[in-house]
Amino acid sequence: MLDRANGVETMITMEELRPRTGKRKLPRRPPVMLFDPARCTGCGECVTACANRHSLEDGPAVAAIRVLTAEKDGRNFAIYCQHCRDPLCMAVCPTRAIAKGEDGIVRIERRLCTDCGLCALACPEAAPLKDPETGRVEKCDLCNGDPACVKQCPEKALKLTRGKAFGWIRLLRWPVQALAFFLLVMVFVGTFCYFRAGAVNLACPTGFLQNLASSRTLWLTGLGSAAILMVLTLLLGRVFCGWICPFGFLLDLVGKVTPTFGLPRFLKNRMIKYGVLAGAVGASAGLGFQPFCTVCPIGSLCRSYGPNGLLAGVQMAIFPAVAALEVGQRRSWCRYFCPVGAVLALAARMGLIKIVIGARQCKKFSCMQCADICPTGIIDREALREGISPKIPMAECLMCLRCVDQCPYGGAKIRFRWQKTAPGEEALPAAPPPPAGQAARP
Amino acid sequence: MSESLKAKMDAILTATGARGCVECGKCVAACPMVEMYPDFRWEMSPRGIIRRALTDDDLLQDPAIWCCTGCNAGTDVCPEGVSCRDLIQGLRRLAVETGRDDQIRPCAICGTPFVPRPVEAFVQARLGHPAGDYLATCAVCRQHRYARHNAGAPSLRPDQQQEQRKHDAG
Repeated sequence: MLDRANGVETMITMEELRPRTGKRKLPRRPPVMLFDPARCTGCGECVTACANRHSLEDGPAVAAIRVLTAEKDGRNFAIYCQHCRDPLCMAVCPTRAIAKGEDGIVRIERRLCTDCGLCALACPEAAPLKDPETGRVEKCDLCNGDPACVKQCPEKALKLTRGKAFGWIRLLRWPVQALAFFLLVMVFVGTFCYFRAGAVNLACPTGFLQNLASSRTLWLTGLGSAAILMVLTLLLGRVFCGWICPFGFLLDLVGKVTPTFGLPRFLKNRMIKYGVLAGAVGASAGLGFQPFCTVCPIGSLCRSYGPNGLLAGVQMAIFPAVAALEVGQRRSWCRYFCPVGAVLALAARMGLIKIVIGARQCKKFSCMQCADICPTGIIDREALREGISPKIPMAECLMCLRCVDQCPYGGAKIRFRWQKTAPGEEALPAAPPPPAGQAARP
Repeated sequence: MSESLKAKMDAILTATGARGCVECGKCVAACPMVEMYPDFRWEMSPRGIIRRALTDDDLLQDPAIWCCTGCNAGTDVCPEGVSCRDLIQGLRRLAVETGRDDQIRPCAICGTPFVPRPVEAFVQARLGHPAGDYLATCAVCRQHRYARHNAGAPSLRPDQQQEQRKHDAG
């Protein structure tokens, strides 16, 4: 097959035989089977229905679904293929027998499958079932869109759905952001840093802290107006960042059109923003004026427009430069650097509400759309891969509600912080140390 | 090689029909290891393993027998009916008996050896991401662990569960 001695390459590679299909466009709402553990009684009708879905001539009667019953508490759970958006089994199959069809269904091509079981190894749920006796690997193909198990389930614990996202929160957020931008930048020129409209005082809490440090005087009006945002954050999380901040709106717009290339590692530390905050306050205390406020991108954006154009030439360049960070990651400024966000994060940490991802309906590793759209990237993919609900650090969450809005299955929710949610992580027993003489593969 | 080991080896060779091998190479053509390992060689190919098992070299100490995924492709195509999967499994069992168990990964929960390390390395490399905890668990433990994380409230009320338990016991 390979004439190495003469240096002639005659071997046909797998790439030539069965080239990988590139990233094909997936159907927006592929069919998906949902399982409700609260309804399941563990009767096993689905297994029977699945095993009998083909006539016996087509192959042995093997089910592609398995019902597990916990001995401890009698909870039932059905293991079946979730038809991932980005199937891990497809990546490892050495014969490339697994393919995702245009209808979103992941199928094993029987002709090519060698029953090696690597797909089951790669699957976080071990959903391709390898029969211990025959060694045959069986995986759900959704009966090509009309699953027998769903029809047979007497308790309606299995449900075929295409999912439906809310979709309207987005239609609410963009106008609110645009309106806030319009008001703070164009109408109340002079910014939210010290914005006053009639009886309402709104002030930037970071600006207030710097003012306090530089003037060594506690202005009660300043305290009150800064407290408005803090109280809002305590109640609703960092909604200011996600819904009101004019610079955040600008970043969202820029992020719509720019690609992302990633940031160098030393910049990707969410603690930097607390350092910036401390530096800003400390510098004001030392210098007696507010140096950060003169370069603050949010403030300079607000001051850039209008008849009282308050900015000198250099200052005009600051917020576009910071907005250009968007080519690194989405909302890089808000993630890592923004001291205003840092103050609000301190409040959000103690806030009243939390975002919960991974409710019963969550499809975990097979979907992960929330992790894709989260502008701050705080949804833990590794946890989702383990089938665990990721913990959302509310200090970093912008409360943009993209995840809640876009989850097709209702797996992302807003909850009060004291409400109980999905079962937490359960650590594996410590892995045994690798044996001493572990040789490399020959 | 001790006498008892030799006898066991003979039993495996007979049971799997390895003596009938005609070295046609169909198993090598079907073997997924070609795709998995860039350094795929005769020594680790099914044909090579069968030949080496017959010629009695120190095969049990060789890591090459741990590269196989345990699939059925070679057995399916073999014109002589040699079951190379059973052969590999038998060889591995003998290797573990002789103390060479460092090439197979025990499940982090139940401790059952479930995947040879070369195969695991291949899966990790293909998955690309820093592969999570779940790769260290065997299929059954993994399913149960996933179920524990994701099964919501118990389907039976506590009193019903007690009844159920009584029913099961009695």
